[in-house]
Amino acid sequence: MRLAGTLLLAATGLFGQTAPPAQTALVNQYCITCHSEKLKTAGVDLENRDYSHVAEDAEVWEKVVRKLRAGEMPPVGLPRPGKASIDKLATWLENTLDTSAVTNPNPGRTMIHRLNRTEYANAIKDVLNLDVDASELLPPDDSADGFDNIAQMLTISPALLERYLSASAKVTRFAIGDPDVGVVVSTYRPRPDLSQDTHIEGTPVGTLGGMAVTHYFPLDGEYQFEPRLSQSILGMIHGLEDRHAMEITLDGVRVKLLNFGGNDGIVKAIPESMAYANQLHAQLVFRIPVKAGPHTLAVSFLRQSSAQTAEIWQQYQRTAIDANETKGFPHLDKVIVSGPFDPHGPGDTPARRRIFTCRPVPGKDELPCARTILSNLARRAYRRPVNDKDMERLLTFYQRGRNKGGFEQGIEMGIRRIISGPEFVFRVENDPANVAPNTPYRISDLELASRLSFFLWSTVPDETLFNLAAQGKLKDPTVLEQQVRRMLSDPKADALVTNFAAQWLQLRNLRGMVPDPDVFPDFDENLRLALVKETELLFDSVIKEDRSVADLLTANYTFVNERLARHYGIRGIYGDQFRRVAITDDARKGLLGQGSILTLTSVGTRTSPVARGKWILINLLGTPPPPPPPNVPALKEDSAAKAQSMRDRMTVHRANPFCATCHKVMDPIGFSLENYDGVGRWRLKDGDAKIDASDTMFDGTKVDGAVGLRNFLLARREVFIQTMTEKLLMYAVGRPMDYRDMPAVRKILREASKNDYKFSSILMGIVQSPQFQMRMKQADVVQSASAKQSLDQMRRPEQ
Amino acid sequence: MIVTKKHLPRRTFLRGLAGTAVALPLLDSMIPALTAQTKTAAKPQFRAAFIYTPHGVILDQWVPKTTGTDYEMTPILKPIESFRNRFIILSNLAENKAKQAGSGHASSSATWLSAAVTKDTQGEDVQAGTTIDQMIARKIGQDTPIPSLELGIEDVSNMIGICDATSSCAYLNTMSWSTPTTPLPAEINPKVVFERMFGDGSSAAKRFERLQDDRSLLDDITGSARDLQKNLSAQDKTRITDYLDNLREIERRIAQVEKRNTDQQLSVPNAPIDIPETYEDHVGLMFDLQVVAFQADITRVSTFMMSRELNNRTYPYIGVPEQHHSISHHQYDPPKMAQHQKINTYHVQLYSKFLTKMQETKDGDGSLLDHSMVLYGSGMGDGNVHSHDPISVLLGGGAIGQIKGGRHIQNPKGTSMGNLLLPMLEMAGIQQDKIGDSTGKISLS
Repeated sequence: MRLAGTLLLAATGLFGQTAPPAQTALVNQYCITCHSEKLKTAGVDLENRDYSHVAEDAEVWEKVVRKLRAGEMPPVGLPRPGKASIDKLATWLENTLDTSAVTNPNPGRTMIHRLNRTEYANAIKDVLNLDVDASELLPPDDSADGFDNIAQMLTISPALLERYLSASAKVTRFAIGDPDVGVVVSTYRPRPDLSQDTHIEGTPVGTLGGMAVTHYFPLDGEYQFEPRLSQSILGMIHGLEDRHAMEITLDGVRVKLLNFGGNDGIVKAIPESMAYANQLHAQLVFRIPVKAGPHTLAVSFLRQSSAQTAEIWQQYQRTAIDANETKGFPHLDKVIVSGPFDPHGPGDTPARRRIFTCRPVPGKDELPCARTILSNLARRAYRRPVNDKDMERLLTFYQRGRNKGGFEQGIEMGIRRIISGPEFVFRVENDPANVAPNTPYRISDLELASRLSFFLWSTVPDETLFNLAAQGKLKDPTVLEQQVRRMLSDPKADALVTNFAAQWLQLRNLRGMVPDPDVFPDFDENLRLALVKETELLFDSVIKEDRSVADLLTANYTFVNERLARHYGIRGIYGDQFRRVAITDDARKGLLGQGSILTLTSVGTRTSPVARGKWILINLLGTPPPPPPPNVPALKEDSAAKAQSMRDRMTVHRANPFCATCHKVMDPIGFSLENYDGVGRWRLKDGDAKIDASDTMFDGTKVDGAVGLRNFLLARREVFIQTMTEKLLMYAVGRPMDYRDMPAVRKILREASKNDYKFSSILMGIVQSPQFQMRMKQADVVQSASAKQSLDQMRRPEQ
Repeated sequence: MIVTKKHLPRRTFLRGLAGTAVALPLLDSMIPALTAQTKTAAKPQFRAAFIYTPHGVILDQWVPKTTGTDYEMTPILKPIESFRNRFIILSNLAENKAKQAGSGHASSSATWLSAAVTKDTQGEDVQAGTTIDQMIARKIGQDTPIPSLELGIEDVSNMIGICDATSSCAYLNTMSWSTPTTPLPAEINPKVVFERMFGDGSSAAKRFERLQDDRSLLDDITGSARDLQKNLSAQDKTRITDYLDNLREIERRIAQVEKRNTDQQLSVPNAPIDIPETYEDHVGLMFDLQVVAFQADITRVSTFMMSRELNNRTYPYIGVPEQHHSISHHQYDPPKMAQHQKINTYHVQLYSKFLTKMQETKDGDGSLLDHSMVLYGSGMGDGNVHSHDPISVLLGGGAIGQIKGGRHIQNPKGTSMGNLLLPMLEMAGIQQDKIGDSTGKISLS
């Protein structure tokens, strides 16, 4: 530590920064009124700090830096130095901390990391060439800080292990085409709030409603299809008054056309709706032969004429809003696929082609072929070369299966062992023996390849990456950069959008949101899906076009389809494919104008300025507010309360000083977005109250409306970019960031700033950081006081 | 080898259940485990079952004219006449709060076991009260593989939005609430229930074979996990130790499932392929599964909605071609009331088969019925006007000597259903002074 101290003193001279006495004076004048040794406000004591040993108090000083950069401290209302002084202090602190980090890098340590269920399903797809639905096979994973790939949260439970066992059985049965698969029954249901008076993606053009799914048919054989129509709560089938035709297609080819409805049906249905429904449904069941493998199944209704509409009856966008209603379009309730009946063989499926790279002569060279097949698959699945002990285990299971039912059964059993064991399910990084405890070391090439593919693709490394790593070439920075660029332009990099961005921006929350149908009767599943897709496409454009990350705040374009365009009031957009449109309304630009974010930060019947403020603080500014005190009563929802504007209803937040400390930070941010209603539409009035979207931010800036808020964020765009970078780095290494990671984060940003903070620069910076390429070797002694403390500190996220 | 008996956190089960809420292809085998039973003559295991029928009954054909032990069995209850001494008829109860929500259908079943009030909403923010089956499950069900079973016959989980005037469809789907804001979905597919109880495979032989495979996999996996652990740091070692502990736990469970599949005493029904064609078969199978689940101690608490509120099922095979909901609005027209009564009686007849099986199944020194508390009835009384006051229910079983049957207890007018729920909780060993809008406790002694 003395060595570091000497370096520090030298460093301050080197940078030509203000000498320690000036910093002390600033802190003493403005900070220790609250953050004194005695008061220790928010647990922070800045009195009597040793400014020549800043690095030793890094935890506190990093907190100070964060608050200073965000403009949150000193709080508005108390004496504040000018922005220049604040920046000077923050810069001096950062430089001091960063210099120390160069001599004592701490890359942190991610503990042993099991695959989450998304990664599990992706890995199965890449190893066995079989698409599986992770949410059917495995329970949901716990998340931390919004991400479900954080190692310490990915715990083990008996339920999970049972699922791994049963999942491995099902997966291998399907992959091999086991004749013993039995009759499999699958039920597919469109969400009940899906409007089915329009074309649904994946179904044939010229049809309305229904759904399209990819179903896996395990064997060649006969399968039964049972489509069921939606009924009202009392059992009456929707849309019976007209004649309709339901079309069922497999891979786009019609396999059945079913007619129903018309005067005949309605006459019979009215007195006995449930009995008629059962009778009709029995007539819709049919069986056809299907070849094994994945096929797109679409069930939808033929569009009879362009004039076909139920709009006279339907007042709202959402077609199935009232469970008592029976008029209008027929809706698909579900389709049940069962089979195979009378199976005759496993057929020729993508999975079988992947697995059976050799075909033995029966009884002659089965064992060598089994060895080849299983070692290839294990290598991919384990992300490392397979050793003799691995093969011994696998071949034991091969023999077991072989003895029961022949060569293919043997392979099936072997594969089952591969995907149910810890070698597949855990990402293991081994500390080298010759490194001292609490010392950082470079991880191996194979370990690096794994980190890279799980980061960019959420799956196992492909052949190219694996081979480079196995040959020890991945260390080479040029090779590494080439691989990153290659992987970014691969379709598998969509994982960055659907896993990273969707979790960072909390888009997954939209799945569970059901805005009150009384207040938002137009909100349907079609809109819900479109909102998510819009934001995903925006993020995707930043990656694909290698834009500056700041463009996420300022983008003057977005992506819409017909449903979304109607929601936003954009004219002239038809069809359900997404296309880029220019944004002419200044208020709509960037993330703050995205309907997805505006909806998920609202509650069922109204907006929530507090939720919006909180979302921005956490996800864009990296300064989450502390949790609320217990027993806060809910906002009054009576009619008197509803007559007021949202702002008036929340005056108690400001009036009570106990509440105000946090709410004067959160509420103004949310109020500036009040022109967006609970589903993201622009409005000038909230009920009868005119909307006033102006307020004073936590640093004293006056902001009016969404544009004002955006400018406020842009004025501190480095804070935004740093927040995103921290989250991306957390996602990349699978552990929360803490104060020890901040020097590395700042380095990434310094480099990326030379390139206008382009996405690829930030990404490369992450890949090149010690966090990503190195690991801290742990102290050997279990539960020694200092080791435990550092573990806890590593677990606790910043603030 | 020390067998560590792990208490499973409740949420791991709920996650397992989440995956089986929809009829899936090859389903998860939540391999249950028998716990160390102290099933001696002195300490039998308490069970609780709650069975619901909708739309009320023709009350004067259900409630006897006289009270006490000498009452004359009424026409609707005739099918369970032989069980006279095994149940108490309680009349003049009321779901006082139920009429405040929607048209009164959804709140009938949603508050039957909580005496709470349902929140008027069509959105996701549904709210009712924690039901007593869940309170009991928390007390006696944490040792069993499945803390409680929620079963139903009709499925409206595909409806979001307005179902019952101003009430969300979520209220109609279940009668079991684990918290005031968490309705538990009812499973309608007996195949799903069966696989949860017994594992994957259509025959006992197949299931056995699969369990053997599972065992040998677990064995080998344990070996390689140990190998893996050798080279790990202390922190990572702990995670693998966790993994190894959990492996041991499911090995133990698999052994128990094997035993259950080969136990001669258990009459395991054949694995159902799907939902049975007829209503009678469907209901019968669900009742059978409850009996087996109790017998094998897979669960000790179950709720079963024989039919849900607001359904329009017809019963032509008993001479009722009219739809159930419609005919419950009989407008006091005698022929229509007679039709409604036929449905009421038919349901009791199906219920009698459950009672018979419970009676015939040995449990320690008595029968399952001796050791169970069974509630049967509807949340409505006069269905024609959606009346929840008065309603009448049957409290049956022995509850390990705590229920003295063969009586009709008539309560003061408007007695809250909660006043019955409280002594029921007491029988399960839970002391509580208030639930929902209860005003006291009915004396059942």
